[in-house]
Order: sequence, then structure tokens, then C-alpha cells
Amino acid sequence: MSYFNALIREVKFTAHDRSVRLWFALIFILSTIAVGFGLIEVERQNTTINALIKTNQQERILESEKLKDWGSSAYYNFHLTYDRPSDFAYAAMGQRDVQPWKHRIRLLALESQIYERDVGNPSIALVGRFDFAFLAAFIMPLVLIMLLYDLKTSEKAAGRHHLLEATAGRPFSFWFLRAAIRVAGLFLCLIVPLIVTGIMAETAISTLLLACLFIFAYILFWAALCFIISAWQKPGSLILMTLIAIWVSTSVILPAGARLMIDQSVSLPSGSDILMLQRETVNDAWDLPREVTMEAFFEHHPEWSSYEPIKSSFEWQWYYAFQQVGDQQTEPLSTAYQEGRLRRNGIATWVSLIAPPSLLERTLQSLANTDLKASIRYEKEVRAYHAALRAFYYPKFFHNEPFDAALLEKLPTFESILH
Amino acid sequence: MVEAGEIYALLGGNGAGKSTTLLSFLGFLSPSSGHVRINGKDVNYDITAARNVIAYLPESASLYEHLNAHENIHYFLQLSGSSASQEDINTALDQVSLVVDARQRKLSEYSKGMRQKVAIALAILRDTEILLLDEPTSGLDPSAIDEFHQLIRSLADTGKIVLMVTHDVYGACQVADKIGLLQNGVLVGEFMANEGSIDTETVHKAFSSNSSPS
Repeated sequence: MSYFNALIREVKFTAHDRSVRLWFALIFILSTIAVGFGLIEVERQNTTINALIKTNQQERILESEKLKDWGSSAYYNFHLTYDRPSDFAYAAMGQRDVQPWKHRIRLLALESQIYERDVGNPSIALVGRFDFAFLAAFIMPLVLIMLLYDLKTSEKAAGRHHLLEATAGRPFSFWFLRAAIRVAGLFLCLIVPLIVTGIMAETAISTLLLACLFIFAYILFWAALCFIISAWQKPGSLILMTLIAIWVSTSVILPAGARLMIDQSVSLPSGSDILMLQRETVNDAWDLPREVTMEAFFEHHPEWSSYEPIKSSFEWQWYYAFQQVGDQQTEPLSTAYQEGRLRRNGIATWVSLIAPPSLLERTLQSLANTDLKASIRYEKEVRAYHAALRAFYYPKFFHNEPFDAALLEKLPTFESILH
Repeated sequence: MVEAGEIYALLGGNGAGKSTTLLSFLGFLSPSSGHVRINGKDVNYDITAARNVIAYLPESASLYEHLNAHENIHYFLQLSGSSASQEDINTALDQVSLVVDARQRKLSEYSKGMRQKVAIALAILRDTEILLLDEPTSGLDPSAIDEFHQLIRSLADTGKIVLMVTHDVYGACQVADKIGLLQNGVLVGEFMANEGSIDTETVHKAFSSNSSPS
């Protein structure tokens, strides 16, 4: 009961403290803005995807009326692929700012289509988005430092420290309670907008609980750090400078240094290298003897090797074969690019263990399925869908099946790959 | 040793160790030699027990400026584990002559003397066996000092122990039962205040010199 009374006393006291109220209000407003921006962006992406689905259907109907053969059908038909934002993406947009989340692909060479990106304003992508994950991981610790660094030193400066400790009897529990209320208040101001938005966005309860748990653990880490550094018998300004230095080191210097080190130690081809190689391969194919292209194609598709040599000046079979050979040529680069990114991501995850702000940001992005793994998963889904499209069309090309527009209804859909 | 019902004034110049002595009673500092005992128990053995029987009034009683007199008293009383009704608080504030109109104003609007009165009222309401007062009349006007002296006399008469440190030789002689002279952390003289037994030469020496006593 006495502990409960002490709790009520300190809650009332904290509520009277104007500077604490201001810090709480700032975090609450920033949190509301961050999740609000996130929700708007998620809505925008979903609206774009919905509009594309509709447009894609309408275009297909229009095109199918004009088509006369399977080759033209494959050439003129676009197939929509997309990666819908998760129900928690509003909190952490992660890689969705810099990696594609929608592609309209054709049966042509795939790799160049994957790396032809449309990511909006590159300057905004470079700066990064102000999202909840950024607020919680990088801004919140600064506010927590401001709330806790001078918990004792401000009382010393005001001449109240001895009076407080002499009156409290048990100083540790008094300071602990006062700090705990500030920590709890900050935590609530941070997560209430997150939870309210989560309810609106129908986020899974387990995801919200996990996010809250990670954020709470992260706040406890910074609170413990503040408590330890504040126990140092030094002026408040020195304690503040020390805490800020730790924040700068873990939030800026360490992640930036690690990124530089990782980029230099794990080299990988760029997306544009893959795109260029594939385009050159496809363009060169026009001038190569057709047997060269077909042999390379049959290595991957021996089931069609009985197909008669091409005699006319243009055949769709040959056209799509050299498109595929373009993919085959770039496969080593593409694989190296994927593996390199995953290796860099793996090292960055290990480094984040000593840079808690990065660790929390990455954890929230992982919960929101907006991390690099999710982006690569989407690329794999696009490849799988493209392979399914080839599996649909190739028998029609190589068996010389007569064109039947009604059969286009049986084209595989991207959704069938997802489920 | 200070007995129950006694007012003991510790006099000394700047740096004599007066406030240090009080902080030793509260367990903030450990004596370099000897022991600090309250009710026969070493303070450093059980600091919490010692602090529970002491009401401490620091030299510059900086209470919370964003709270009013009632809120400050209420907060510190709760902090000590006790409580008081609004009526009790008003009675204590009456005792220290804090004007009624000021009681609901924030302490940021108070003069130094008014803040000191609130702190004294708090010490009264703590209702502890021992009062440790560090320069309690600092910032009070002469009439308020007289009232304060009457107040602590009445508290001592109820059996409380009052240990105050002060520069004010005249005030100490008026209110204290016993006066101790402190010089460089050493008690160099002790007098009964009402018996005219004060050795003025020793007092003069205690205030004018910071050198070690002979």
C-alpha cells in the first residue's frame, strides 16, 4: 500500500513538472505524426496496387482482342506483380523506400525488368523516411537522456538533494521510482499512437505485443545507461555530454563506419551491371547465328531440343529463347548480387548487436516485413511467377498450338504464386 | 551529547565544519574518526532508522518552485511516509506566520524568507524526535527571527531535540540551552547559554581563525 502511495505521489509530482510534460508531449506528437505518415504511405501503396490490378485487367481484355498468336500475346501482355505492405508496415517502411514493391513484367528477359526501378524521388529515398522505427530507435533515446540525465544533479544544483534523501529515508527506491515513472510515461507516449494505429490497421496483436516488448527492452537499456552514468559524481553537463557521446557513437558513427567497412569488404555487382549485361546479350543475339542461341537455350530446356531448326527470318520461339539466354547469362551476376546483399545484411545484423539503435530499427523492420529479406523474397516471387509464365507459354510456342484467346484466362496469376 | 528538550547551537566561522557535522548526522558523510550516534545507535549502521527520527532543514531551503506551499509540504510529508490534513498544514503555516494569501501561490513567487517559513512548517509537521537546522534564520527578518526562536523553544519544550548551526552568536545566545564552538571540525568550547558563561575570547578566536586550535 505504501508503495502504491509512493507511486501516486511521484505520478502527481511528475504531472506537475512542466519540462517533463513538454518532453512527453513532444514524443506523443512525433509518434502520432510518424505513424500517421506511415499509415498514409501504406494507404498510398495499397491504392496504387489496387489501381494497377484494375488497369492490368482492363489492358489484358483490350490486348487480347487484338492478338493473333501466342508470341504476340506474350509480348504485349503485361503481368502485374506486387508486394503489399504488411499490417505493421506503417511503423517501419524500411526497404520499401528504396526497393521496388511493384513490377509489371512481360515474358521478355526478366533480370533487366527486376532492376529497372521506379522508387520515386531519389533525394527523399537517400535521406530516408521519418517513420516510427526511426523515432523509437534514434530520437526517443535523446528525449530519455534529457529526462534522466539530471534527475539527481538538478536536485543537487537546486539544493534539494540532501533534503530529499534525508526525507525519503530509502533514497534508492525514491530515485528509482522517480526515474521509472519518467521511463513509463515516455514509453506510453511512444506506443499509444502505435497501438491505436495498429488497431485501425488491424495489425496482429502478437506483432504489436512483440514490437512493444522490443521497444520496452530498448528503453530499459537506455534508462540503465542513464542511471549508471548519472551515478558518476560529476556535473550534470558532463553527464549529459557523456550520454550524448554514447548516443552519437551508437546511432551515427558505429553504423556509418560499419556500413563503410561492410561495403568495402563485401563487394557485389550493381543492378545496373546486371541490366546492361542482359540488354547487351539480348541485343547481340540478333546478330548471332541462331544455333548458338538455341543451343544455349536447350541446355536449360532439353525438353524442347527436338524442335526443328529455325528457317524463317523471325520466329517467336527463337525470340523468347534469346530472351531467356539473356537471363541465363546474367544469372551468376544476379546470384552474386542477391548473395552479396544477404551477406552484407547478415554482417550488419551482427554489428547492430553493439549499436542498439540499429538493432531496434532492424527488428521493427523485420516485424513489418520491410527489411532486405522481405525485399529479396519479393524478387524470388517475381522470378517464380515469371517461370510460371514461361511454363504456360513455352508448350504453346514449341508445339505450335493454335492461338486461342480463351486460354488466356488460364494464365497463371501472381496471387497463385503467393498462395 | 544533546539531550531531549534541549536546543543546542553549533557556532563557528566559515569552513569550521558546521554543515558537515549536520550531514554526518544524516549519514551523508562518515566521520574521519569517532562515531555519530542517535539514540545510542551508530548512524552509519542504519541510516534509514536515523533519518526517520530527524527532520532536516537545509541552509537554503529550496523546495519545489512549481508547487505551492501546501503542495510542497504535502509532497515532502508523503515522501517521509507521513501525512497531514489541510487543517494541520494551515496550523503549521500559521505557526511560522506565512500569510494566508500566499499559501496557494507557487514558491517561484516567494521571497527567500517565505520559502524558509514553508520549510520550517514542514519540519514542524514531520513531528520527529530531532530537528537539525542549518542556518534556520537565514533570510528571515528580525521579527520573524523572534517568532522562530519562540517556535523552536516551544518545540523543545515538548521534548524534541534541536540541533542548529548558525553564524548568529546573538540569536544562539537568545534561544539555545547549550552552545558549542566549532573550529576546523573540532569542538573547541561548549557553554551553557543562559548562565553568562560564554568565553568571548574563545568565540572571537573560533570566528576569526581557520587555523588548527591549540
